[in-house]
Amino acid sequence: MTRHKSSTRDGLAAAGIGLRSAHVAEIMETRPAIGFLEVHAENYMTGSPAVAALEDLRHDYPISIHGVGLSLGSAGALDREHLLRLRTLVDRIEPDLVSEHLSWSGLPSIYLNDLLPLPYTDESLEVVSDHVDEAQAALGRRILIENPSVYLRFRHSTIAESEFLVELVRRTGCGILCDINNLYVNADNFGFDPWAYLAALPVRAIGEIHLAGHHRADVDGRSILIDDHGSAVSKPVWDLYAHALDRFGPKPTLIEWDSSLPALPVLLAEAHYADRIGAMQAAERRTRAVA
Amino acid sequence: MPSLEELQKDICDAICVGDDTRVSELIAGDGMDPASRLRIYRNHAVITLTDALKATYPVVCRLVSDRFFAYAAHEFIREHLPEQPNLAEYGAEFPGFLAQFPPCHDLGYIADIARLEWAINQALHADNVAAIARGDLSGISSADAPRLVLTMHPGLRLVESRWPVERIWRANQADGDPDLSIDLDSGGVRLQVHRRGDRVMLKSLSPCEFAFLQALARGDSLADAADIALRLDLLFDLAAALGTILEDGIVTGFRLQPPSED
Repeated sequence: MTRHKSSTRDGLAAAGIGLRSAHVAEIMETRPAIGFLEVHAENYMTGSPAVAALEDLRHDYPISIHGVGLSLGSAGALDREHLLRLRTLVDRIEPDLVSEHLSWSGLPSIYLNDLLPLPYTDESLEVVSDHVDEAQAALGRRILIENPSVYLRFRHSTIAESEFLVELVRRTGCGILCDINNLYVNADNFGFDPWAYLAALPVRAIGEIHLAGHHRADVDGRSILIDDHGSAVSKPVWDLYAHALDRFGPKPTLIEWDSSLPALPVLLAEAHYADRIGAMQAAERRTRAVA
Repeated sequence: MPSLEELQKDICDAICVGDDTRVSELIAGDGMDPASRLRIYRNHAVITLTDALKATYPVVCRLVSDRFFAYAAHEFIREHLPEQPNLAEYGAEFPGFLAQFPPCHDLGYIADIARLEWAINQALHADNVAAIARGDLSGISSADAPRLVLTMHPGLRLVESRWPVERIWRANQADGDPDLSIDLDSGGVRLQVHRRGDRVMLKSLSPCEFAFLQALARGDSLADAADIALRLDLLFDLAAALGTILEDGIVTGFRLQPPSED
């Protein structure tokens, strides 16, 4: 069996893709060259054959486990049962990366299947910090927290999102999963400078980068960007990615594509394009260092 | 300023039941009506939960059309939100909902197709416990055999319908014949749904085989289960039935019931 495991001490050298069920059989059979595979934790919490397939694939690829349901931003206690299921999965798969979101998903016994926005306040910072502490203790490892795409902001927010993340990192020792598409979508929808946002993030905390597609939609007469992971990465997001790499250096990068899923080669081409941008940025950084 | 807990309750109300009276004034306008912003989240929840239901109930969706399915799912989601993030466990109440859903009144078989698809979903996601083989029972003497209580595979489901749901289900698979016409009055079916490796198998059973398995699944001894089967069919062959379920890989353990005192 060909081994493509490309994990290095500095992280996952080549770009990865989100593993979606429609592609599993083809990946199992052809074992294409991919830097790593990322799965949504919640799709692997039963005894389904998908878990066995992942256990097989983890021998050939570094795995990233990306949670969408822990609801770190919910007031009150974390769902311990869900955290336990996540721990069982992490123990079983031994992933290279584990990540979750700066968001909340419902109330006790109501799961809205969405990443809902938080007011960025001292109270929220305390809640999220406590929950990140608890999750990291339960999992016995550092987790990465992703900046979400948001479609509403609260009047009583007092902290900028980037500052909120910086403080969360300082308090909990967590890392940041910097989603460039989410950042681009938010910056466009709310009219702020994504470069300044990137400049505020601590380089050493960045553990992963996400790239995805978005589309423009008309919502009650206003045109906004919706982060739907349903198309190729757009030109301005690639540009912002290149700028992020210039600032952060090489980071494990993932192509997310969840709806209107393309054929596997299309997804692989996106990942290889990310690798090319990474190589170009690395060369530029070397040139600058010499000069 | 509300506490985070109050705010989250209010947002849930806004998303679940469309009541945004308390929360709108907390949302920055940013050039758009707060209600429109909340609607983005509401739509997202409905669309993704409809997709989750569609993934579990693909044949129901195919039979009623995408549009009708989306309508039924929307009505269902209003009453039944997921309680936790593992969406493979979401939608258990959908068959019962369809059975009571007035627009489905003339499609009596739809709820039973949904019951079958829920059983398939449960079989697929059950823990894959190793089955025992015939040889594992070789130490049991024929005198003790009637007291055997078998542990059935956690993915085993038994589905009974007065409609030909198995034929309807098969005709609506990717390799099924779309032009096949099925007489809805051609009789009911009793099905054993079980997981074998990566695949879920459907197997049609006779009334006595079905009753035998139902008895075993609820923990009856071999003797009691055989009694029930024999009452339905005097020619029920216990040894053959036992051999079949062992071969199907749906027995995962056994114990002996203590001898009765009388």
